Amino acid sequence: MTFAIDLLQLLVIVGAAPLLSGVVGRIKARIQNRRGASIFRPYAELRKLFGKEDLVPPTASPLFRLCPVVLFAATLAAAAFIPALHASALLGNTGDFILLVYLLALARFFLILGAMDGGSSFGGMGASREALVSTLAEAPLLLGLVAVSIVAHSTSVTSIVRWAIGRHLFQLSPVHALAFVALALVAIAETGRVPVDNPTTHLELTMIHEAMVLEYSGPSLALIEWANAIKLNLMLALLIALFAPWGIASSASISALAVAAVAYVLKMAVLAISLAVLESSVAKLRMYRVPDLLGVACALSILAVAFTALRR
Amino acid sequence: MGLVEFAAAKTLASSAVFLFITVLLIAAATRTSTCIVLFAAQCAVITMQVVAMAYLHRSGEALVVAAMVLLVKVLAIPYALLRIRNRLNVPADISASTTAAQSVYIAAALILLAFAVVQPYARAFALDSEMLAVATALVLTGAFLMVSRKKALMQVIGLLVLENGIFLAALTTTFGMPLVIEMGIFFDLLMCVLLMGVFVFRIRDTFEHVDVSRLRRLRG
Amino acid sequence: MTLWFPLLLPLLGAFLVLGFKNPRAAVRVALGIGIAEVLLLGNCAWKLRSAGVLQQGRYLRADGLTLFFLINLGLIFAVVLAYSVGYLRHIPKGRFSSPRWFYALVFLFLFTMVAAYLSANLGMLWIAIEATTLASALLVGFYNTKGAVEAGWKYLIVCTVGIAFALFGTIAFYLAAVRGGVPAEMALDWATLMTAAPGMTAARELLKLAFVFAAVGYGTKIGLVPMHSWLPDAHAEAPAPISALLSAVLLNCAMYALLRLDAITSHAIGGNFSHTLLLSFGGLSLLASAFLMIVQRDLKRLLAYSSIEHMGIVALGVGLGGPLGLFGALLHAFNHSLAKTLLFFTTGSVRETFGTLRMDRIRGMGRALPSTSAVLVVGGLAVAGLPPFGLFVSEFAILMSAFTQSHYLLALLMLAAISIAFGALLYHFQRMLSGEPPGSPASANRPRPLAFEIAAVSICGVCLLILGLHVPAVFISVLHGAMAVLQ
Repeated sequence: MTFAIDLLQLLVIVGAAPLLSGVVGRIKARIQNRRGASIFRPYAELRKLFGKEDLVPPTASPLFRLCPVVLFAATLAAAAFIPALHASALLGNTGDFILLVYLLALARFFLILGAMDGGSSFGGMGASREALVSTLAEAPLLLGLVAVSIVAHSTSVTSIVRWAIGRHLFQLSPVHALAFVALALVAIAETGRVPVDNPTTHLELTMIHEAMVLEYSGPSLALIEWANAIKLNLMLALLIALFAPWGIASSASISALAVAAVAYVLKMAVLAISLAVLESSVAKLRMYRVPDLLGVACALSILAVAFTALRR
Repeated sequence: MGLVEFAAAKTLASSAVFLFITVLLIAAATRTSTCIVLFAAQCAVITMQVVAMAYLHRSGEALVVAAMVLLVKVLAIPYALLRIRNRLNVPADISASTTAAQSVYIAAALILLAFAVVQPYARAFALDSEMLAVATALVLTGAFLMVSRKKALMQVIGLLVLENGIFLAALTTTFGMPLVIEMGIFFDLLMCVLLMGVFVFRIRDTFEHVDVSRLRRLRG
Repeated sequence: MTLWFPLLLPLLGAFLVLGFKNPRAAVRVALGIGIAEVLLLGNCAWKLRSAGVLQQGRYLRADGLTLFFLINLGLIFAVVLAYSVGYLRHIPKGRFSSPRWFYALVFLFLFTMVAAYLSANLGMLWIAIEATTLASALLVGFYNTKGAVEAGWKYLIVCTVGIAFALFGTIAFYLAAVRGGVPAEMALDWATLMTAAPGMTAARELLKLAFVFAAVGYGTKIGLVPMHSWLPDAHAEAPAPISALLSAVLLNCAMYALLRLDAITSHAIGGNFSHTLLLSFGGLSLLASAFLMIVQRDLKRLLAYSSIEHMGIVALGVGLGGPLGLFGALLHAFNHSLAKTLLFFTTGSVRETFGTLRMDRIRGMGRALPSTSAVLVVGGLAVAGLPPFGLFVSEFAILMSAFTQSHYLLALLMLAAISIAFGALLYHFQRMLSGEPPGSPASANRPRPLAFEIAAVSICGVCLLILGLHVPAVFISVLHGAMAVLQ
């Protein structure tokens, strides 16, 4: 029974991911006074891409077609860690948050390999930038999760969520506040959103993620785009689960799950609106200032870890 | 009125978190107007603390103090600073001598230092160590801001953060001093900020810039 | 009412003077108000002599210590007021440089200092001392040149930060008092704290912390090294009468605050800690300023460093304590204010004749300005601590106190510093006074000194001589009354 619910949860995360991207894009368009595309457009895009032919550059190796598959698989596995509706996940008991972080890192690694394998100069540029950003983002991500896990006395994401459900809003602690700000900054960097990277840009010199996928087409590109959307959904769901998990079903009853679904939709809506507002109001940082932003996130997460000792 | 009591106690307990966040954000800010708004937010948190304390100790005087904090520090002084900044007509950039990340690291180190310094004293005098640590952290960060920021207006903001720390220390240790003294202190602070505003304009008029690190004619 | 009048008159007078746009009328009104204020201060001093302690309400109080410092304030203010009448002719015309703004700001400054002297309450004392910074900042930047604006900004920032630390010290005193059982409304009242002090021994560490912060805070205003960075700039860039007021009266005002707090601390936990702190600050100020005086190039900066040195000597005297130490310290504060005022008065005509205060560009002053040079020599000898002027007596008293308490190293340090300072003064003055003056027509059409200026200078000189040759018995009894308050 739990297995079925967790599988449903995974399908929700994976299936609703393009919808989330569509909603964020639509809100951004509305803020910018445009009508914007339909929120279901990413689904149409995926269907189109799956029907097209996969063009491979003549200089590419078999790795080129392998990378999007590995990327999608790793992201899928990472999504199986997140308790979005139910206080347990498909792979919740298999590993802890370190495995989650490194599944994401594995996905990113193969994306970088594939970009460099494509042979274009923009691919190489995007790959090097992505490597820089991800290296700098890894420390605050791990430290923020470490801080939260120390307070919750467990390293498994589902156990942390179960612990967090037991507390209530007024027990706000500096550890959680600092870790939230740090992880929010990291989420922006990891998912390639403004102010770190602009996902809708068409100027190659400003791209990080888009530059890496310039050479891809057809189903490979579909897998990469879908994996990117899943990553956004995953990071936001992780933030919700760690810091505002109230509403997540502890039992397997239908009513609890219904409440959890509604809560999930509401919280995701809040985060989507905040993300859209943030993207529309802040300018993208120049590349040499991105390490500064991630340095701020790192300092905040170090302070969060230090506070776990001070609050004893 | 159990709920209001509970809310007041919780406000006092969690306000330290918000003050830390404002301290770190001021250290990371890159524009003067951001700093002024963050300072106003900090003073708003302190106002709520004073109100909570007034409720918990049934003190009418503390409510007057809270009103003064609101009027002077949340409304009057930030408004005056924003007006000065808008009329100064200089680049909005904060021109700090450290980058945002370095400033946040230093601010974080100062917060930890504040905790380390306050622990023995707080235990010896039976005081609330977290609030006192926040006050000390505010003082240290204010001093750091004054030293690392080169704009004259940023020195004023660093000074105001420092005074905030001292006011918070007074609040947590003694629950406020006699009302007349508090009013005198607030009046002094307001006059001080206005006078500094006058001087910032004079600096801009005589030197054509407001970069205090370039005020180095008088040495030795 | 005796206490309210001298407090409120300068405040009202400041606003009154602003109403007179005509410079001559403004100067006359200011003179009138100033004379009235000096008379009121004299009346207050007279009443104090007979009554001992005057208290008005909860916030105004005057005792023996206040009497001594009020005499100091009244005398210096009268002399500076007389001098400023003539000096104002030299100030360049500007939007805020008219006599009415000058006098309005001076009266505001006076109001804050009288408030500091008359405050019964540590909180009021803090507010008044902070207000003196605010009131004098615009006076420091009065000329609105680059140097003046920079000096004013530095003064404002450094002193406000220092005073903020003093606020923390005041709060800590309040906390210690409340912990020691004093009721909260009276816990900042100085007289109450003095009587309750022996009962505060339980809060020993807290009192030490409080005194450290207060010493650092008020020490910034006194100009003790290492918190002195604002002093040379502010005293050098301000107009000469304002420099005299700053050096002579404001430093004494801050020292008064520190004396009050030191009294409380000594009564509560014994004088060891506070006096050691004062001795270290004083010794450091002495050494640092003496050496820095050698390398000065500007005349007023030289005089400012000399002020730091003498404040160091006063701090040494207070730190040594005992009958001779405290006596010497108070007398030295008084004497120094007279001598420094005299010296700053000469800088006005020096700048006007030579166009600069850079000592390497001033030559042949003895020929060009004979009377001013005579005054400069008299002031220089006085400030160096030579007999027959008053500073010799006070420095001797402090040295005696050091020897009787076996602080031989300290006495040696003080002697060395005084000698170095004397050497520096001699070197600089000798270079300025000798040689040929630059043959410019400026010396030919220098304005005649007004009767006011001559009167001001001679009052200072005569007082210095009297205090050096034979301190009047009346004055000694005032000093003893001041010391009794602090014991």
